[in-house]
Amino acid sequence: MQGTSNLLNYILWTPFIGLIGVLLIPKAKENLVRYWTLINTAITFVLTLVLYSKFDTSIPGMQTAFNIKVPWISSFNIFYSLGVDGISLPMIVLTGLLFFLCVLSSWTVTKQIKAYFSLYLFLQMSVFGVFFSLDFFLFYVFWEVMLIPMFFLIGIWGGENREYAAIKFFLYTFFGSILMLVGMVALYYKMGAGVDSFNILAMHGGKFAGQTLDIFGMTFSFSKLFFIFLFIGFAIKVPVFPFHTWLPHAHVQAPTAVSVILAGVLLKMGTYGFLRIAFPIFPGASVHFSEAIAWLGLVNVIYGAFCAMAQTDVKKLVAYSSVSHMGFVMLGLAAMTVTGVNGAVLQMFNHGTSTAMMFLLIGILYERSHHRWIVRPDGSKGFGGLYTQLPKYSIVFIIAMFASMGLPGLSGFISEALIFIGIYERFTTITVLALIGLLLGAAYLLWMFKRMFFGDVIEECKNYTDMNTREIIYMLPLCIAVIVFGIYPAPVLNIMRASVGNLVEMLSKF
Amino acid sequence: MDYTIWNVAPIVLLPFFAFVINAFIVKRFTSLAVLISCGSILGSFFFAAKIFFDFINKFSENYYIHKTFTWFDLSYANMPFKMDMGIYIDNMTATMLFMVTGVAFLIHVFSTYYMKEDKRYGRFFVYLSLFTSAMLALVLSENLISVFIFWELMGFCSYSLIGFYYEKEGAGNASMKAFMTTRVGDVFFLFGIIAIWSVVGSVSFVDIYAAIAAGKFSGLLALGLPLATLAAICVFLGTVGKSAQFPLQVWLPDAMFGPTPCSALIHAATMVAAGVYLSLRCYPLMEVGEITYAISIIGGITAFGAATIALVQTDIKAVLAYSTISQLGYMVLGVGVGSYNAAFMHLITHAVFKACLFLSAGSVIHSLHDHHTHAHVQEMPRMGGLRHKMPYTFLAMLCCTFAIAGIPFFSGFVSKDRILGDALLMATHSKWYWIPTILGFAGAFLTAFYMFRMMFLTFFGEPRDKDLYDHTKKEKISWNRNIPLLILSVFTLGLFYAGSLTGQGFAKVAGERYEWFQTLITKPVVSEFSSRTKQAFSFSSTPSGLNFEKSQYDSSHGLSEKEAHHVHTVHHIGALVSIVIAFSGVFLAAMMYLWRKWNPGFWVNTFSGWYRALQNKYYMDDLYIKVLIQKGLLKLNNVLAFIDMGIYDRYIVDGTAFMNRVFFTVAKTTDDVIVDGSVDLTGKSVKAFNVILRTIQSGKIQVYFIMIILVLTGYIWKLSL
Repeated sequence: MQGTSNLLNYILWTPFIGLIGVLLIPKAKENLVRYWTLINTAITFVLTLVLYSKFDTSIPGMQTAFNIKVPWISSFNIFYSLGVDGISLPMIVLTGLLFFLCVLSSWTVTKQIKAYFSLYLFLQMSVFGVFFSLDFFLFYVFWEVMLIPMFFLIGIWGGENREYAAIKFFLYTFFGSILMLVGMVALYYKMGAGVDSFNILAMHGGKFAGQTLDIFGMTFSFSKLFFIFLFIGFAIKVPVFPFHTWLPHAHVQAPTAVSVILAGVLLKMGTYGFLRIAFPIFPGASVHFSEAIAWLGLVNVIYGAFCAMAQTDVKKLVAYSSVSHMGFVMLGLAAMTVTGVNGAVLQMFNHGTSTAMMFLLIGILYERSHHRWIVRPDGSKGFGGLYTQLPKYSIVFIIAMFASMGLPGLSGFISEALIFIGIYERFTTITVLALIGLLLGAAYLLWMFKRMFFGDVIEECKNYTDMNTREIIYMLPLCIAVIVFGIYPAPVLNIMRASVGNLVEMLSKF
Repeated sequence: MDYTIWNVAPIVLLPFFAFVINAFIVKRFTSLAVLISCGSILGSFFFAAKIFFDFINKFSENYYIHKTFTWFDLSYANMPFKMDMGIYIDNMTATMLFMVTGVAFLIHVFSTYYMKEDKRYGRFFVYLSLFTSAMLALVLSENLISVFIFWELMGFCSYSLIGFYYEKEGAGNASMKAFMTTRVGDVFFLFGIIAIWSVVGSVSFVDIYAAIAAGKFSGLLALGLPLATLAAICVFLGTVGKSAQFPLQVWLPDAMFGPTPCSALIHAATMVAAGVYLSLRCYPLMEVGEITYAISIIGGITAFGAATIALVQTDIKAVLAYSTISQLGYMVLGVGVGSYNAAFMHLITHAVFKACLFLSAGSVIHSLHDHHTHAHVQEMPRMGGLRHKMPYTFLAMLCCTFAIAGIPFFSGFVSKDRILGDALLMATHSKWYWIPTILGFAGAFLTAFYMFRMMFLTFFGEPRDKDLYDHTKKEKISWNRNIPLLILSVFTLGLFYAGSLTGQGFAKVAGERYEWFQTLITKPVVSEFSSRTKQAFSFSSTPSGLNFEKSQYDSSHGLSEKEAHHVHTVHHIGALVSIVIAFSGVFLAAMMYLWRKWNPGFWVNTFSGWYRALQNKYYMDDLYIKVLIQKGLLKLNNVLAFIDMGIYDRYIVDGTAFMNRVFFTVAKTTDDVIVDGSVDLTGKSVKAFNVILRTIQSGKIQVYFIMIILVLTGYIWKLSL
């Protein structure tokens, strides 16, 4: 399985080298830390693009040329095993891009810069690790390790209620991790003592169908029971209703860059977990539960949208919109058709870009206003007339907002349309109800826009300055991505087509 | 003429590139940006004209061009999925292209006059260019997905243009209302597209027609309805939203918040007509779904209802807005009664005269400047006698008013009369069609009345606001103000559409090309489409290899002599009734507002309840906004959000912490009272045990973590033994 290229190693460990570099830089040289991190993430991003350029779109499974597999803990058959396919590549490029742009957005962080950027790079490494791992143990390690930088990034650099949010985030995710751990250990014993004990790819294909398990005198289906365990583990990350309440807290309290990473990449780790682990390992159980998953996805879509509409804090509103949009991903996954799953993976990518724009823009605004109230608790306006005051900012905001609500011509539409086409074939009623989500999605965003941007400039908004060059630079790539992939989605779809097709074909046999 | 990408793509791409370029340069080079916008649309017009005249020369009802390319392809193994994009041009498309580019160009020109002093003069043209390219792309679309894409893009442009004066709070409300209301229809439309996809495996119009001919829709059910009916209803609801039909008409009057030229282009001439265009394109689906009667009812209600509201409006643009809704109702009525040709003709004629009406209104509004408030005046009670001040605008507007009111020789008469004639014909076959027919004729009467009421109030009589009147300059001819009005008003003559002065199709105008409209625009015969071929879109020329017979005008509509006689009789009766109705409407308006013989106030007092209802637009806005949204939706949102954070998160999720504390307290109490108290004898060992417990319950998450791993590993290991 050893491939010919070390590219995945380079991508995975470049942030780590950057981390060591940050630690070695003297504390006083703050700008050096910033530029070093910027260059480091830029190199990582370029490496992910190299990976993209060398990617062979015709291979349905793992790209063997990039596979890396060396023994790590031999006594337990644990391998350091990395690989990439069409499902993980879009996420990897997205990770590279967002981490690079968020350094620019973090330029204004002044509190303990060294610690901030070292944790930031540590986070990037663990995210790459999750997307690359082909060994369940390695996957789990990266999955858990990721919590550490997140905990501190929210807990130290966050808003006024940061500690509560950080602990909540940690405990919630940790609860899911434990269930995943149980599943992993169970799988380890089922796989036997060979070299494949933790090999995710070797577990694929419904090997555990029909096996049972006796607990407390009751007989359970092995695959159904542990599918539920894994499902909850990943569902908390997505987050699927009813495991979603950590998200508004974490998003609102987290600093801008961390919100962006959280919404843009970390949420997708949950749905990626379904695609890489839960679905292919337990295909029979996933098909069995697909209708239930679809209903949960529907609840996400509708409930998230309703809750978003009631918010008066703009960041919380966007956080709930993430709940709603990730519901679309769940719907696409539950469809288990070639259109649905392709749409879901595309939506993971597109939501990453559009929601990142929204959070970055809210961060830009927050730096000027130091509050996020659309309507203050006393009923007065928090913002007003921003269109007049901040013309450039408004244009970017319009692009982000319409991309987020899935306006055709911008990226969100194609993925949502594919998801709907996919889900219709299986669950017509759910399709009809989910379409309400599209309506509500437009409603809460436009209503927010109307309240913040139209009308006369209110007194306290009069000293806000428009976006500066640095802010324009980091918004521009996302604007381009949102528009280009809206008009021509084929570059992303071609990559995922074979891998997704392969997965769907396998699921269709159950 | 043979078609390559170079013949067609510029129609869409010229305005699109104008949009892209202008978006960047508009701040610094405003005049250049305006020039680019106008130039690009003129270029589009030439390309469209070339296609249009090519189609006219071919003069075949079967002539078409259909080219596609793959947008993306998700096929894997035996699971095919391919999304195509492309162009489909037939006579209807060619006519539409010619009309849209022509009207859009004239409106661009007029905008250089109207918007000149606006501080966002350039920005306006940026939106206009994007809008025009989206509209043209929609017209050229060969499938429903691409229609939907450009449909929504136009919705976005409409949103931006209604909210153009974003300093005003009202603009925000109006633009949001417009976008959300049409979005309701759009969501249904998208569902319809998906439902069609599930049957046909493609959403290309040609494939849909072929599938209908092959009977693929028969017997399929979805959500308890026949699938064809469901799909047809959903697609039609798209039309209802976009073309402002009952019950989604509420957005269009508010859309008048935008600058007047954009009202002319978007909310009168083109975008709103796109809904009707879609219904015509999907006409075979409406038939197979058996919803044509419902469509005719919706059209009739809209045509009549909007006309009644227009009776009491005092804002000149509001009158025109309601007349737009009403006229769109006629088009939809035409679709419903199977009057395919006339519905499309009304779309074209209406686009021309309504664009002209709005531009004329713009010309009036722009000239009336209140120097106290520094605002333009739109209220008719402050106008009067303006024909002396602006004679050229007056003449243009008069032509269009003749057209919309259905005065013979004008375009509106030809098209509206044919729709009503066909409705009458349907009514003679089936009695239920009397309802939309009568609504249609009654609406025609009201149309003549309120349009002439508007004319008399604006241009005739004594000036009611003397101060305003005296400050208004006399109209001087300027090219960018009067030439668009002149051209558009010339094209309000019925001659250009009917090929004859009377519209009844007997006179030859140029050789054999009489009645071109009725000959070329025909209902698609679905059975013919299975044999049609799509070509790959390429840069090089690919001969089509198809020969098309010239079409002949068939005055008997393909019917037997007896049936044709019946048709002609009914049509003649319809025409006569239309003429009588139109003139009596004009007469009534003249009695009330020109000669002042009858006092309109008498009617207002007599029917005060109705008057209030009309002024409140039948309370539909109140129903939607105050009841459904404010009392329903927003309340529900707040309740759900409270449950989410205030109850679920606070008590159930965070409640687990409380449970832990309870558990801990119980354990501790047990420990202290029972274990400590009764087993004090083993004090030393207990103490040691406590030390261990304390170490473990350190609150360190890592320790818990290790323990959990150990316990679970052991447990599952035991299980697997």
